[in-house]
Amino acid sequence: MHDDPSHDHADDHDHGHPHEHPAAPMVEEITDFEVLEIAVRELAIEKGLFTAEDHRRFTEWAEQIGPAGGSRLVAKAWSDPAFKQRVLDDAVAACREIGIDWSEPTGSGTPSDYMNLRVLEDTPTLHHVIVCTLCSCYPRPLLGHSPYWYRSPNYRRRLVRWPRQVLTEFGLSLSSEIEIRVEDSNQKCRFMVMPVRPAGTEGWSEAQLAEIVTRDCMIGVALPRPGRTADDALPVHEARRPVQEHAP
Amino acid sequence: MSSNSPVNPRARFNVGDRVRVKELPNLFYSRTQMFVRGVHGTIAARTYEDVVPEDEAWDRQDAVPEQYYIVRFRQKDLWEEYPFDKDTLQTEFPDRWLDPVNN
Repeated sequence: MHDDPSHDHADDHDHGHPHEHPAAPMVEEITDFEVLEIAVRELAIEKGLFTAEDHRRFTEWAEQIGPAGGSRLVAKAWSDPAFKQRVLDDAVAACREIGIDWSEPTGSGTPSDYMNLRVLEDTPTLHHVIVCTLCSCYPRPLLGHSPYWYRSPNYRRRLVRWPRQVLTEFGLSLSSEIEIRVEDSNQKCRFMVMPVRPAGTEGWSEAQLAEIVTRDCMIGVALPRPGRTADDALPVHEARRPVQEHAP
Repeated sequence: MSSNSPVNPRARFNVGDRVRVKELPNLFYSRTQMFVRGVHGTIAARTYEDVVPEDEAWDRQDAVPEQYYIVRFRQKDLWEEYPFDKDTLQTEFPDRWLDPVNN
């Protein structure tokens, strides 16, 4: 296949002029960490710690996890008060009811260390927001991978001390009459916010409710509302001193 | 083993108890952040029993599990300039990091 539109020939590559296809990586840059990962992975496979098939299966699982499980959990809790109570009493058991098993989240037989899930119930006078100041602990079996900002020192250092300012940066301003409770997941508990069910959703199906329970709502930096089915895109600021291209 | 027994040194607190985070020395690794040390809070939940992270980090096979707790703090007690009365912060500790408070 050729990117050059002046190459107008059929599937058969056999024609007059030879092409030069110098070997080149598919990406422009590869980081030191990517090189390290490849080296460690190949060494582990060579040593028999796992197989390439094991790695492929785990990678496929890791690349497809997202917040859908969390959305379904909240939607079901909003719809079924008895289920909601089960979520608050034993969140890991409640997750199994919706098909998420914290003890075998990958299906690859690797139990998670982190079996202590607690769902934080918001009320009209209590709003939770979650952070991990130490690193970036996150309820991955329910929410998938954390957004980049959740892992940034900017968020982790500032949320605990200036939560209202940080939430305002996400577009969320709450009255001082509402208690904002920051939950710092510094040990083995993992947390997820169960927001207050918004007005205007009366009679909705679980599927409709799940659509408005987005990832940011379950971290606590956004509130769900009818019509809001995606988290706001945050601007990416270009580096002031980007990595310079080096001559080969 | 009765976790509710007051004579068990590894599980001394119940929900609602007032506690103070100790100021213990730690070398290389701890999960008890500096911003909570010395501060008074209230036990919000008993979570699970496990070895302390300072031992787990060093793969101490002889480490004895302790009760863990979620402690709730008033933000105004954590940060001198914090202006909002109602706001709180919760974080988690093993038993040894907490002292009882009588008030």
